[in-house]
Amino acid sequence: MISLPHYLAIGAILFVLGLIGFLTRRNLIVMFLSAELMLQGVALNFVAFSRAHGNLHGQVFALFIIAVAACEAGIALAMFLMLYRKKRSLDISLWQALREPGLEETRDTVPLPVEPKEEPLPVLSVSGVEPARKERDYA
Amino acid sequence: MLDPHQILLAVPLLPVLGALLCALFGSVKQLKSWSHVPAVLCAALSCACAFGVVAQLQQSGLPATFPGGDSDRIVWFGMDYAKARLVVEFGLSADHLAGIMLIGVTFIGFWIVVFSIGYMKGSPGFARYFAVVSLFLASMNLLILADNMILMFAGWEGVGLCSYLLVGYWHHKHSAAAAARKAFLVTRLGDVGLILGILLLWFMTGREGFDYARMFSNVPALAENNPVLFPLSCLMIVLGAVGKSAQFPLYVWLPDAMEGPTPVSALIHAATMVTAGVYLLARCTPLMLVVPGVQLTVAIIGAFTALLAAFIALTQHDLKRVLAYSTVSQIGFMFLAVGCAGPALPKIAVVAAIFHLFTHAFFKAVLFLSSGSVMHAMHDVIDMREFSGLRKVLPVTHIAFLCGALALAGIPLFSGFWSKDMVLEAALEAGHSERFGTIYMILFGVALTTALMTAFYTFRAYFRTFWGPLRMPDGAHPHETWVMNLPLIVLAIGAIVVGIAVEPFNQLFSGFLSKAPFLAATPSPEHHLNWPLILGSSAVALIGVGIAYFMYVKQPASAAKAAAAAGSWYAFSLNKLYVDEIFKVLFVQPMNLLAGISSLVDAVVSDLTRLIASIPRAMAVTIKPIQNGLVQFYALAMVVGVTAFIGYLVLFAK
Repeated sequence: MISLPHYLAIGAILFVLGLIGFLTRRNLIVMFLSAELMLQGVALNFVAFSRAHGNLHGQVFALFIIAVAACEAGIALAMFLMLYRKKRSLDISLWQALREPGLEETRDTVPLPVEPKEEPLPVLSVSGVEPARKERDYA
Repeated sequence: MLDPHQILLAVPLLPVLGALLCALFGSVKQLKSWSHVPAVLCAALSCACAFGVVAQLQQSGLPATFPGGDSDRIVWFGMDYAKARLVVEFGLSADHLAGIMLIGVTFIGFWIVVFSIGYMKGSPGFARYFAVVSLFLASMNLLILADNMILMFAGWEGVGLCSYLLVGYWHHKHSAAAAARKAFLVTRLGDVGLILGILLLWFMTGREGFDYARMFSNVPALAENNPVLFPLSCLMIVLGAVGKSAQFPLYVWLPDAMEGPTPVSALIHAATMVTAGVYLLARCTPLMLVVPGVQLTVAIIGAFTALLAAFIALTQHDLKRVLAYSTVSQIGFMFLAVGCAGPALPKIAVVAAIFHLFTHAFFKAVLFLSSGSVMHAMHDVIDMREFSGLRKVLPVTHIAFLCGALALAGIPLFSGFWSKDMVLEAALEAGHSERFGTIYMILFGVALTTALMTAFYTFRAYFRTFWGPLRMPDGAHPHETWVMNLPLIVLAIGAIVVGIAVEPFNQLFSGFLSKAPFLAATPSPEHHLNWPLILGSSAVALIGVGIAYFMYVKQPASAAKAAAAAGSWYAFSLNKLYVDEIFKVLFVQPMNLLAGISSLVDAVVSDLTRLIASIPRAMAVTIKPIQNGLVQFYALAMVVGVTAFIGYLVLFAK
């Protein structure tokens, strides 16, 4: 039997996962996804309580959350696009200009791990000829 | 269309229009170099209207007024309380006194504007100059034509403002800006007195209307009912006249006002504005007649100033300053004459003052314009030690200056001679009166001495500038242009003929002025030429000229010897009797001290404020670093904060 605490536990897990993701990841889009995750955790809580109480109040809130999240996604993604065009990167730590004047910029003490380069896909040549592997830049 | 009332209104209104057009021209790039045109045209039209007004006055004998009838009076402003009522109307009225002043102001004003075209050519702010000069003419006409004292005061302040603007015309020059401030502040002292005097008069009379006619209608009763306030108000008005007309002790601003362009010195600080005080006193003759003490004060101030300024003028090296002090001195003569109006007949004394004012306007204007021409030619050098013998290179200027100098010195047949003679005659007449007879006799002696000094210093300036070997400062390029010569010639002719043509043999001037409403009722003197006085004053003038000729032409070395012989007297005169220094110690330095104390207090107060403000700033330094601009740091702070809050609620709050 799945009871209210189970739903709440799932909601809490979703929320905390989102929170951890929001605080630790530096990629704007991933941060945004984490925030969505937190919202869904909260929405799950609402729905669970709605079912437990036997009324529709919580479900209404869940619908609102979904609507707001949709709007947010539209605006946030557009803004990320603009930010990306300015700096050619999605790293949130590049945007520190609103700090107290006179304060040093915060820099990474340990350099970020270099992501391994993906192995390029094989390029298929015309049939009948032996396939050759060519280096191509996918960046 | 040519309604006399409207012609009268046009006299002050046309220069206002001129000023506006000049300002407009000045703000359009293509028209900038043409911005003198509206000023000249409006001055000419205004002058024509003034002549029209006077011709009509001569014909009908009735003062022209604006507005025409009693029914359409224009209320400027008014206030109505239970106990007091002040209604100030906008009304113009040209009686005979105003008519004479109008002729002088607009005619001389027009020629000086013409002279300015040549003098100011190429100067920055060309349009500004002509706009302000036009505005000055408008204010001066308003001052003269106003039919009540408050409207008169508006014109009075208007001319003061224009004087300030024009003295400080070259405002980037420190000395010009300082002179403008000085002129404004010193005359302000007098103006405060004047407005107090006017309000006192209103307090006593002006329940119903406040124009001159009504105010003067029952002066004796007024003086009887207010034994303290009435003389006080008269004294206040005298104070205003003293400030504006640069009499002792408020004369210090006039010599400094020579920092302005020379045509301005000619127009404002010689011919018109500075004589406004004399006009005011003449206008207030009915009031002054009932307070002989105030009359005597005026006469003493006048005679003393005349002597003092003439004494200073004896040794000045700056040509314009000599003329400035002579202006102060000549206005002193006019004050002396006005001050004689009680003991001598008003028809002698007031006429003498206004006649001297009229001739003085001509000959002093031509003197100033000639010195402006010299200055223009000598590349803005006006120190007489720097040049001499200019009569060959500036022939027209030389002749014009000579005409003015002859008139100023009081050489027989020239205009200044006749008017100065009338002033002396008025003083002599007053000397025969019972009450302050001896004092007026002394004043007569002072005036005669001053006449001697006047002749000397005028011709000292003339000989030093135009005679002797030709010397010029570097950069001088002596030249004369017709636009500057024409006004010189016209005014020089005026300086010669305006005296002899209108007064000594036909009494045209005194006959006309005596018809003024406030003079018409007073008894008429019998006309005669006082031959002993005429011969005596001619002798005095000729002696003065002779001494100057001897000292500066015959034996140029004797001037230095005389200066050395005079010793401390010479230094006294050269340093203007140290009046500026005395004023500095008495007024300027205490004020500076006060200002210093104030700025100290100011510094203490503002430093205290800054000290208090620095406490939160110092505290803020410790928590500043958490504002580091990292979004995730802020989010973390939020999580920690919310966690702490909820933790408290869950664990501790009941």
